[in-house]
Order: sequence, then structure tokens, then C-alpha cells
Amino acid sequence: MAVLEQTPPAVAQPSPTRPKKGLRKYWHLYAAISPFYLLFLGFGLFPVGFSLYLSFHRWDGLGSMEWAGLSQYQYLLSDGDFWNSIGNTLIIWVLATFPMIFLAMVTAVMLNSAVRFKGLYRVAYFLPNVTSVVAIAIVFGSIFSTNSGVVNAVLHSVGIDQVAWLNTPWGIKVTIAALMTWQWTGYNAIIFLAGLQTVPGELYEAARMDGAGPIQTFFRITLPLLRPTLLFVLVVSTVTGLQSFSEPQVLLQTSSNDSTFAGGPGHSGQTMVLYFFQQTFDNNDFGYGAAVAWGIFLVVVLFSIINWRLVQRRGD
Amino acid sequence: MRLSRRGLLRAGLGGTAATALGGLATGCAVPTGSTGRNMVLWYWSGGLSDTVVKNARARYGSSVSLDAIQIGGQYRSKLITTITGRAHIPDIAGLKGEDMAAYLPNADQFIDLRTLGAEKYKSQYLSWKWDQGIADDGTMVGFPIDCGPVGHFYQYEIFRKAGLPYEPDDVSKELNTWQNYFAAGEQLKKRIPGTMLLTDVNSVFENVVQQGSKRYVDKDRHFIGDQEHVRDAWALAVEAKRRGIVSDLVSGTPDQLSAKQDGKLPSELGASWAAFDIKNGVPKAKGRYRVAQMPVRPANNGGSFLSITKACREPERAFQIITWILDASNQAQGYVDAGLFPSTPASYGLKQMREPDPYFGGQVTTDIFGPAAQQIVVAYNSPFDVALGQPIKDEIKNVGVLGKDPKKAWSDAMSKCRRIAKHLGVSY
Repeated sequence: MAVLEQTPPAVAQPSPTRPKKGLRKYWHLYAAISPFYLLFLGFGLFPVGFSLYLSFHRWDGLGSMEWAGLSQYQYLLSDGDFWNSIGNTLIIWVLATFPMIFLAMVTAVMLNSAVRFKGLYRVAYFLPNVTSVVAIAIVFGSIFSTNSGVVNAVLHSVGIDQVAWLNTPWGIKVTIAALMTWQWTGYNAIIFLAGLQTVPGELYEAARMDGAGPIQTFFRITLPLLRPTLLFVLVVSTVTGLQSFSEPQVLLQTSSNDSTFAGGPGHSGQTMVLYFFQQTFDNNDFGYGAAVAWGIFLVVVLFSIINWRLVQRRGD
Repeated sequence: MRLSRRGLLRAGLGGTAATALGGLATGCAVPTGSTGRNMVLWYWSGGLSDTVVKNARARYGSSVSLDAIQIGGQYRSKLITTITGRAHIPDIAGLKGEDMAAYLPNADQFIDLRTLGAEKYKSQYLSWKWDQGIADDGTMVGFPIDCGPVGHFYQYEIFRKAGLPYEPDDVSKELNTWQNYFAAGEQLKKRIPGTMLLTDVNSVFENVVQQGSKRYVDKDRHFIGDQEHVRDAWALAVEAKRRGIVSDLVSGTPDQLSAKQDGKLPSELGASWAAFDIKNGVPKAKGRYRVAQMPVRPANNGGSFLSITKACREPERAFQIITWILDASNQAQGYVDAGLFPSTPASYGLKQMREPDPYFGGQVTTDIFGPAAQQIVVAYNSPFDVALGQPIKDEIKNVGVLGKDPKKAWSDAMSKCRRIAKHLGVSY
């Protein structure tokens, strides 16, 4: 767009008018980008704000709201089930994320050196990520069945007793973690692969000239240069892993009258978001549910910061 | 302002943005219900007979255009959201039985069906079911759709092989107490090793609680989950575990279904609608199952209601439609189409409900569920029952599945209930 009137500031203008002038001049550009911001305001920011407002009230979803002050948060801090769900979430997250990152890295390095069918492999590795979580969970539920599952059949064939995967506290956690690992390994391998391809070839050549072996090359060149990618993968895995919901929900639902959000015997598989659902939609306790949601938010922020620090600390 | 093409474009953009903003900022606050001819009915898949809904549309089509919508997913959340949002509220709304405790305290969102002359239909419906649709202040919120009388599904041949009673009448008569039922489980295990009577202890605990006239919280918002009726249910569940007649399977899993198919789990206590789950889960067991009365007395599990919301502009017409959809002959059709067991005893004698069921070896299952439905007593359904029942159900599960010490489990459940009761303002 042609901007015709450029008045040179011969006289020093009072600065407050400057931003206003920009707004006035470029308002149509702002208007052009406004739809996203308006939608975000209505469907993103407002609900977030409202949930904060809600967390200071008692509300059953239909009747009138009662002011509850900080009591929902006081109860949250003393709520053993909430702390238990944080513990479960973190254990599952650790069990899922670290094997996943290791496998994704190995896969990416192999893909990077593979010559044929690269595209095919990429598609194949990406498939688990676009498959519906519900479908995956149903299949995993059969694979980890106590009597008719493949996993126990394999264990049995090497002489190990069968494990009640979906009926013991650790079995439940391992099953959920395995599901998440399976789902995300391919996705992150593709991300790592993109990172690997940005490493300049000269560096590898120079390393070879200096007589570095493949292991040394990987740890001295590849890994340091992949740090930003690793950081991205870690943060994203933290955010998604700490918000896991569908995996335990589908794996552990029974056909009895039990709550679908209880997370199996002893609440062993009850993640934070599952607990949030149970409080909000089973008990109709919307105020407390909102407080739980904000608790979850704080935990996720905290762990994202810790991750960030850990990965950033070295080197920079 | 000089109007150029560009200016016009800008104005258009600005206008669009302003409209979008305005649309978001001013949520329509006018209650919208039926306008003239249009009447909206919300229900869920399988909540009403599709045939009956279609017939209702045709029958009342001359005066009203009935728009019946099946709402998927979390039905209650969507209905509550719509009512709270005060826009596009359905005129007639289905209410699930397990959600009634959440709706009844908010009876003012619905039209009191007594004001529309509901009283004169009362005699045609099961009285306990009728009462379940009524709030504490007497407002009638829900009109009865179906109910879920619980029966004892068992495998004929397996019972016979184990030397147990195997004809439905004999099973009903002889396994009429929990003690006899448990003893049968012991005999079953002894005669056919590897066979278990029960899938889990929770099925005992919850069925015993549901047989009673009290649950976890009473009308005065007082916690009663520590009283005898719950202790007895707990003790029976613990006893079942101790007598070794409980499997280590999880209900609804492939493991459980294959155990049913192999006859390793030949007995289960389930509501009338569970017949459809069994048929779908183990189709190969066709002809092997029968159904009898459950021990002690029948219980109820499930069943729904229709309501008229405050947003409805023509309550009389809506009520007319509801009472027609839910009359005895249409409820019998609901049983045929969707397995909805009628709340109208007059249906039980109708031809559709007297069909011999080949899956149950030609048994007429209404002979069991019909009488059961008429002997049910129900408990007061408090909005806090779910929250205060959960810890007890969790702990009995820990006893059954994780082998936790029952005494410790009970005291853990009680201390958790105390904490939750305090949080919810329920006296203890």
C-alpha cells in the first residue's frame, strides 16, 4: 500500500501521539489480523478468566454460584487424591518420556543414515501419532490383558509368571507409559530428523579428519547441535505428557457402575486431568474442578521451567 | 471521508471485525424455546425408541413440528451448558437416571409437571419410579421413561453340571439369600475348578446397597455411609472375597468376555439392559443363558425421564406429546427397539414383551423382570451421593483387587468421606 503523507518531524512532536498515529494509520492492517484475536478473546481468554473466577465459588453447573473465597484452594492443598494424581502423572511421564526420547533419537539417527525408502519410513513412524488415542487404547487394553494378552503370552513363553497389567498399581502405570511411548516416538523422531539435517556436513568431515569415532562424533557434535531440538521435544512432551487423559480413561474404564475417571484400582492410573474430570463431571463440583485445573496449570508451568533450565544450563 | 474502493474495503473489514466482536461480547440473553410450530426434543442414542419418535412426529405434525435431536457425547454437560447459557434450550429434554440428583435441586429450571395434570397418569406407572422424578419440594421434574430391574443372569448347563439348581424358577427360589448364593459359588468352584461366581467384589457391594432404601447421604444433607446398611454391604463383599468365589478379572475387558464364553464366569447380577451387553459381548453363548431373580430382593439400576424445560412456550402441547410417547404400548415398542424396560406395568402383558428369547433358550425374560420391577424400593438420591459413595467403592475395590486389609480399607474410606463431607458442607 502506498503511504503518501510522510510528514518529517520538523517540530518535536509530543510523543504520546505517536502510537496513536500508528494505530490510526494502520488500523486496517490491525482489522485484517483481528479475527484470530477476537476468536481467541472469546473462546480462549474469556474461558480461562472465567475458570479462575469460578474457582473462588461453589457451583453445581445449574443453580446459583456461592462465593467460596480461597476454600477450594485450601481443600486442594490438603487433598490426598490430588497429590496422588500428581505423583501418578509424573511417574507415568518419566516412564514414557525418557524411553521415548531415547528411541526417537536412535530412530532419527538411523533414518538419517538410511538411504532407501526414507519417505516410507517417515510415514510409517508418523502413523501412530495420527491414530485415534481411543483406538490405540482399546488395542493396548487387549495386548496387556491378563489372560488373553500378547505381552503375557510372550512372558509366559520365557517362563515368567503372568502380570495383571491393568489391575496392579505399577502394571497400570507401565501400560499407560508404553502406550504414550508408542504414540509419540515416531513424531519426535521426525522432529529430531529435521534437527539432524541442519547439522552442516563439514563438521562431520572435519571430525573424521581429526580421527573421531562415530560415538565421539555423536556426543561431541550431533548432540550439542541438537540441543534446541531436544529442548523443544522435552517441553512439548512435558506439556502433553502432564495432560494425559484419554490413555488412562479408555484403558481403565470398566463396564460396571464405576466412575470412568477413577483410574483403576487404588486410583493408580488417575492422572491430574482425569482427577479434574472426576471432580467436575462426576461430582458436579465445578468450582473445585476449576481450582484443580489451575493446580494442574501450575504443575505444568513448573515442570516446563525446570526442563528449560536443565537443557539450557549447559553450553549457554 | 472520501469514499474510494479501498476505503470501502477497509470499512468492510472494520465492520466485519466489529460484528464479530459484537457477536462475541453480547451473548443472547433471551430464553429461546419453541416459536410457534417448532418444538425441540433432546435425547441420546438409545434413549427413546426411534420408531415411537417417528410416529410422534407424524401424529402431531399438523399442529407442531417436532424436531427430535440425538445429542452425542457428554449429554448432561451439554444440557446444563445450554440451560445455563439461556439460548437454544430444548423444549423437551431427556434426563438420565444417574443424573437426576444433579437436576432435582434445580427444579426451577423445569416446568412442574403437576401443573399440567400429571397426577391423573400416576396410576399407570411404577410408583417408585414416579417418585424418583420428583424434587424435595414436590416439584415433578421428570416423567418416567424406563427402569432397570436387576436380575441374575446365569448359564444353564454350567449350573446343572455343578449340581446347582438350573431352572429359572428353582434358581430364583433356592439362591434367594446372599449366603445361599455364595454357597452355590463354593460348590461351583469345587465341582468345576477354575470357575468363579463373581467377577469382582464391587458387584456384591453395589447391588446390596441398591437393594436398600438408603444410600450415602440423607435428605437432611447428613452423611449416612457409615451406617449399618453400608456396613452390611461391605461385610458381604468382604465375605465373598474371603470365600474365594471372586475372579481377578476386570468387568468389560476381553478377559472377562472370554471367561464368560468359556463358562468360567457363569453368573452375573445385571439390570434388564445388561441382556443386550451379554448378547453383544458373547454372541456365541446363544441359548446357554437364562435369567432368574437376584438374591434377597430386586434392585434397580438405571432408567431415565423426560422433562419440559422452562424455555418451552407450549408446555401443554409438550406434555401431551410426552404422555403419548411414554404410554404403555409405546413403552413396549421402546423395549423392542432399544431394550428400555417399561415403567408402565400394563406393558408387561403385551405381545411384544412376551416373545420367547432364543438367546435365553426361549425364555420369556419379562416373566422375571416384570415382577421384579414391581417390588423395587428406592433410596433418596442425594446430589452428594456420587462424591461420598466413591471413596467407599474405591476401598472395597482395593480389598478385592489389591488384597488390602478390610479393616484398614474401611477406616481409610471413612476418613476420606469425612474430609469430602466437610468440603461439600455435608454434616457427618
